[in-house]
Amino acid sequence: TCALWQLLFRVLSPLPAGNALASIALEVQARLVKSALCSQGYPRLALAQLPEDGSQGSRELLLALSWLLARGPVPEQMLAQTRVPLGDEMTVCQCEALASLGPPAPHMEAEGPVDVRHVQWLMGKLRFRWRQLVSSQQEQCALLSKIHLYTRGCHCDQNLGHLSVTEAEMLRDPEGGQKLLRTLEHESRRLEAVLAWRRAEPVFWQWMDTVLGTCAPEAPAAASQPTFLPWVPECGDGELELVVRELQTLEEELREAVERRRVAWEAKARGCGRGPEWSAARRAFRETVEKELGALQRCWEQDSGPAPAHGPHRLVRREDGAAGDRDLQAAELIRTLRSQEACLEAVLRQLQGQCRQELARLAGALPGLIWIPPPGR
Amino acid sequence: RVCRRLLQAWEPTGTWAWEPPPEPEINEEDPLPACTPSPQDLKELEFLTQALEKAVRVRRGITKAGERNKAPSLKSRSVVTSPGTTASTPPQSPGQAGGHASDRRPTKGLRQTTVPAKGRPERRLPSVPDRTRAGIGARAPRPGAGLRNQHMAPSAAPQAPEAFTLKEKGHLLRLPAAFRKAASQNSSLWVQLSSMQTSDSMDAAAAKTQFLQNIQTASGGSQPRLSAAEVEAEARRLRKACSLLRLRVREELSAAPMDWMQEYRCLLTLEGLQAMVGQCLQRLQELRAAVAERPPLPCPVGRPPRASPSCRGGAEPTWSPQLLVYSSTQELQTLAALKLRVAVLDQQIHLEKVLMAELLPLVSAAQPEGRSWLTLCRAAHSLLCEGGARVLTILRDEPVD
Repeated sequence: TCALWQLLFRVLSPLPAGNALASIALEVQARLVKSALCSQGYPRLALAQLPEDGSQGSRELLLALSWLLARGPVPEQMLAQTRVPLGDEMTVCQCEALASLGPPAPHMEAEGPVDVRHVQWLMGKLRFRWRQLVSSQQEQCALLSKIHLYTRGCHCDQNLGHLSVTEAEMLRDPEGGQKLLRTLEHESRRLEAVLAWRRAEPVFWQWMDTVLGTCAPEAPAAASQPTFLPWVPECGDGELELVVRELQTLEEELREAVERRRVAWEAKARGCGRGPEWSAARRAFRETVEKELGALQRCWEQDSGPAPAHGPHRLVRREDGAAGDRDLQAAELIRTLRSQEACLEAVLRQLQGQCRQELARLAGALPGLIWIPPPGR
Repeated sequence: RVCRRLLQAWEPTGTWAWEPPPEPEINEEDPLPACTPSPQDLKELEFLTQALEKAVRVRRGITKAGERNKAPSLKSRSVVTSPGTTASTPPQSPGQAGGHASDRRPTKGLRQTTVPAKGRPERRLPSVPDRTRAGIGARAPRPGAGLRNQHMAPSAAPQAPEAFTLKEKGHLLRLPAAFRKAASQNSSLWVQLSSMQTSDSMDAAAAKTQFLQNIQTASGGSQPRLSAAEVEAEARRLRKACSLLRLRVREELSAAPMDWMQEYRCLLTLEGLQAMVGQCLQRLQELRAAVAERPPLPCPVGRPPRASPSCRGGAEPTWSPQLLVYSSTQELQTLAALKLRVAVLDQQIHLEKVLMAELLPLVSAAQPEGRSWLTLCRAAHSLLCEGGARVLTILRDEPVD
């Protein structure tokens, strides 16, 4: 039973495997497993009621594991997470960026007045770090590019054409190369194991069905469940609030504007007369607008953006920049990113403009002051 | 992460070129060494020689003056000036071009003691951050005959000074056979895995769905509750929706209609947007209700990259890494810079919203008198309107008495 708790913990834990994980006490692991499962919507209540010392419940744990396995390709995902990167990789999606933004910090009540100077100072630090990051990243790119350039023509895989930093490093440092080789072989063994699992899978599901059959059906009570989380504070509740407020303001604004315009339009339209072309035109407009708005809606309904596939990509330098159909081209990505950039910049400017207006309003209350805006760019 | 990579790139430049080969076997396998050192190598050697000479000065003395004259003249010979030869000049009596075996040891010994000194000349080398590497482990066939062998004693073959730069010899490197085999096996396994994934046997897929349903019904719930992870995903989507909608609304509101047709279209768009906003709000209310009725319970454990479906290879899980092709350094740098810019903008927008929520109420609530209020205003303006980059000036317009 203990092993099952630990296995579930390993599967569910967001942290990469490491020694730190192993040292967490069993009770803690068990609790975290329970909360993780619950947050993913695991339906069986019996699990939540299991004792956390690992004394019983192996059947429930087995069921939970099967539930996870049925929902997604767990072994493959775990393999992909610990994959040995042989190439120089770059991720294209923004998942990392989102993750690094972290869950919204628990809403802390300000202890005492907000120290604006402190905030300014922090902001300055942040901007400095950004600049540092940019410049070091640029340097890294230049180095990478050079290495790719200098080692072209020597990779056994024609598709790749040149060595990556990892591969080149392996040549330079044979000991490290041996380690890499061992890790690679280790991964191959695990891949073989997963393949064997996949081939034998149907048997497992047959068995699990019988296991489930031996359980008594549960009553769908809203049983009281263990309530806390050692790790993570609260949900996206604060987030939801923010969005709701924004949308409400937007709604207000729209309501006003639409009313105004509708009235104005009606008045104008009266003078236009109605004819068959007019109604045809109206229909045409309606259709176009619907289509546009539909496209807009799809922008956020699809969980992620269109093409850019997720996960890391191996960087490959080619003079002509030609790419196979499954590969991505830098030029295209650049285009996409530029449009994203433009969009975000527009949003930011909008927000800043709003602030400017608001502050001007607040400050205008006090006469006798001249406000000189900073020299613009 | 970035820093680590940079260090990796730089280290060989600093410490490598002079380390003696660790295993003699490698030397033997190492085919013909280069006999025409590159200009880069020559320059390195010049520096090194000078360093050696300085170090040697203590022990030497008399013959040094003569040697120093010899050294440049030897180097000027474009013919087979093996690095070993040149470097061995100082301890040699003048006129002898070859390095005798007996001199190998002391030279090597000297070289080893001057390893720290070597660090300096390396740094002095011009800005080209080429990776200087010793040719260890590379089964690179090097051009030129074994002339060097004539100058060297086989036992103490100083492969070490033969640092070549990646620039010149990079294209000659070859990956070791064992690695190639392992890598190809690895990638074929990944391919197998991904093909197995897509052509998931019907039995297994059906069995899984069946199992999930069974578990669901066994627990009495007919409708799976919304998990916190799903709530979060939905909230994210709606947040995105909000910003897109708001952007669009601004666009429409600020566009000056040219004629009545445009006006009509604008009106329609706005009405449509209004409806969408309403829908989003409704969805949000639903979410809030769903979240509230559950006891204050388990929320996403961190933001598990695993639990979220997004970065899982997308719709088509292809587990072997796809390629990202670029054509020039410029392009790569642009790509990286843009990626970062987008992330930074995202963060800035988030910050802006938070700051707005915190600071604006403060400013409006504060008493508009006194210096502290002015400071607050200035700071708020700077943070909110200029991203903390610039600060405005406030002049007090004192009426002249």
